[in-house]
Amino acid sequence: MMNKLIFGRFIPGGSFIHKMDPRCKLLVSFYFIGIIFLANNWQSYLFMFLFTIACIALSKVNLDFFIKGVRPLLWLILFTVALQILFTRGGNVFFEWGIISITQYGVVNGAFIFCRFVLIIFMSTLLTLTTPPLDLSDAIEYLLRPLKVFHFPVHEVSLMLSIALRFVPTLMDETERIMNAQRARGVDFGEGNLIQKMKAVVPILIPLFVSSFNRAEELATAMEARGYQGGEGRTKYRVLYWHKSDTGAILVFVVVTFALILLRT
Amino acid sequence: MAMDIQFEKVSYTYQPKTPFQQKALYDIDLKIKDGSYTAIVGHTGSGKSTLLQHLNALVKPTEGMVRIGDRKIFPETNNKNLKTIRKEVGIVFQFPEAQLFEETVAKDIAFGPKNFGVSEEEAFQLAKEKLALVGLDDSYLERSPFELSGGQMRRVAIAGVLALEPSVLVLDEPTAGLDPSGRKEMMAMFQRLHKEKKLTIVLVTHLMDDVADYADYVLVLEKGHVVKQGTPDVVFQDIDWLKEKQLGVPTAAAFARKLSAKGFYFEKQPLTPEALADEIVKVLPRAKKAGDKDDE
Ligand SMILES: Nc1ncnc2c1ncn2[C@@H]1O[C@H](COP(=O)(O)OP(=O)(O)O)[C@@H](O)[C@H]1O
Ligand SMILES: [Mg+2]
Repeated sequence: MMNKLIFGRFIPGGSFIHKMDPRCKLLVSFYFIGIIFLANNWQSYLFMFLFTIACIALSKVNLDFFIKGVRPLLWLILFTVALQILFTRGGNVFFEWGIISITQYGVVNGAFIFCRFVLIIFMSTLLTLTTPPLDLSDAIEYLLRPLKVFHFPVHEVSLMLSIALRFVPTLMDETERIMNAQRARGVDFGEGNLIQKMKAVVPILIPLFVSSFNRAEELATAMEARGYQGGEGRTKYRVLYWHKSDTGAILVFVVVTFALILLRT
Repeated sequence: MAMDIQFEKVSYTYQPKTPFQQKALYDIDLKIKDGSYTAIVGHTGSGKSTLLQHLNALVKPTEGMVRIGDRKIFPETNNKNLKTIRKEVGIVFQFPEAQLFEETVAKDIAFGPKNFGVSEEEAFQLAKEKLALVGLDDSYLERSPFELSGGQMRRVAIAGVLALEPSVLVLDEPTAGLDPSGRKEMMAMFQRLHKEKKLTIVLVTHLMDDVADYADYVLVLEKGHVVKQGTPDVVFQDIDWLKEKQLGVPTAAAFARKLSAKGFYFEKQPLTPEALADEIVKVLPRAKKAGDKDDE
């Protein structure tokens, strides 16, 4: 069950995308989400698709992982698309029933929203598949630095994020171990009605909470024992390097933006 | 029902068909006889825990077949009706105290039997009985498992598995992290169950003394392969091989080897302190005589 959880998982590699500075990747990923909203006809969406596929090809990560990334969100996407199709009005009317109507604009809008979802998921999956989580949290810390002016605890928040990310795999392993132990004691997960299913979660959740609290306490003790002090004056073990190619990547996105503006109507 | 367990060409791969795939078991053939006391030894990461999870169909082999009693588990066997197997084969996982979750010790121990349809009253009766078996008195029944010491939690967790009254008891390093007297008590308790209740026991351990003291069959695992198997006498015969694999040697055997180096001759390699003592008693008169001759 856990094995299928691919979304948000780092796959090691040596591609250009893997080697990019995480700050650059994070910036351009957000930028990409912004400029997707510029696309408003099939030419511009096609262009964005081709660009995204090119990025994926450059990362040398199997396309399957990206398609699997869409799957958990499929229902949300279909729901949004259905809302668009059923409630948007305008253009030729194909079908009408009360407030529900299927119109030309509705269908086109639905299709565009679908594309937008898929593109955003592909790009953010590309970010998480090619960037080690800790690099990502370093990048976030760096990019949030300006907020220090407003006394926002940037370092602490980023430390919390790093610790959370670091313990995701541990927690998943632990969940599997505890599930196995309870299965050996006769629990059937995913059997019976909803109430029985919810009841079966208790023997997993409580041990998970207990061990998480214990682990948090141990970690805090270990950090204090080693004299941990956050924030000012603390140097980094992982240092981020901005390469010329990162500046190049940003230029590419600028060009893409211009191309989009030309293609949109 | 005779609960023989047999592996035929069993391989297991974690997360197959992904970049994270990792083969943990390769073509394992083995047999765990009903009523035997089998020890599984090997280094960390050699696949012991993975192998154990096959014993009650928690995982299915990616290749090959596991036979548990009269049930056959293939890669494509579906997950339904595996519960009867889990009732017959109880597993005490590594650090089993992590599985405790109920408000009271009694409820936690009764949890397993109730899952298998035992009535509330009977389950609590079982809880009382098994708690005594692991060496805790009735005053613990109504306490929260989370306010106990680590060693006591371990005992409660083990009682929770014993309460299923399985005919095969699988133990994954059950005494790791316990104090020496707790360890001895625990091992003696398993031995009693084995002798009195005819429980089949499968024990994963790093302690060769425990293997020598209790097991009647030993499997040595290395990197997912069974590299040696047989009775302790056979497996511990080749001390140099054990040393080379850094698996450790039973204390008595190591001592006997030192004596041999000094000129003692043993007819049979002793594995336990008792056997060593017997051998020395047999050998001493001869050695003494030889020594007397030297003096002349
Ligand atoms: N849940 C898992 N996912 C992926 N690989 C695993 C998992 N559990 C164990 N492994 C791998 O399988 C191999 C055997 O592990 P394990 O059976 O735990 O060994 P042992 O119990 O002998 O220490 C190891 O290489 C380990 O890294
Ligand atoms: Mg193990």
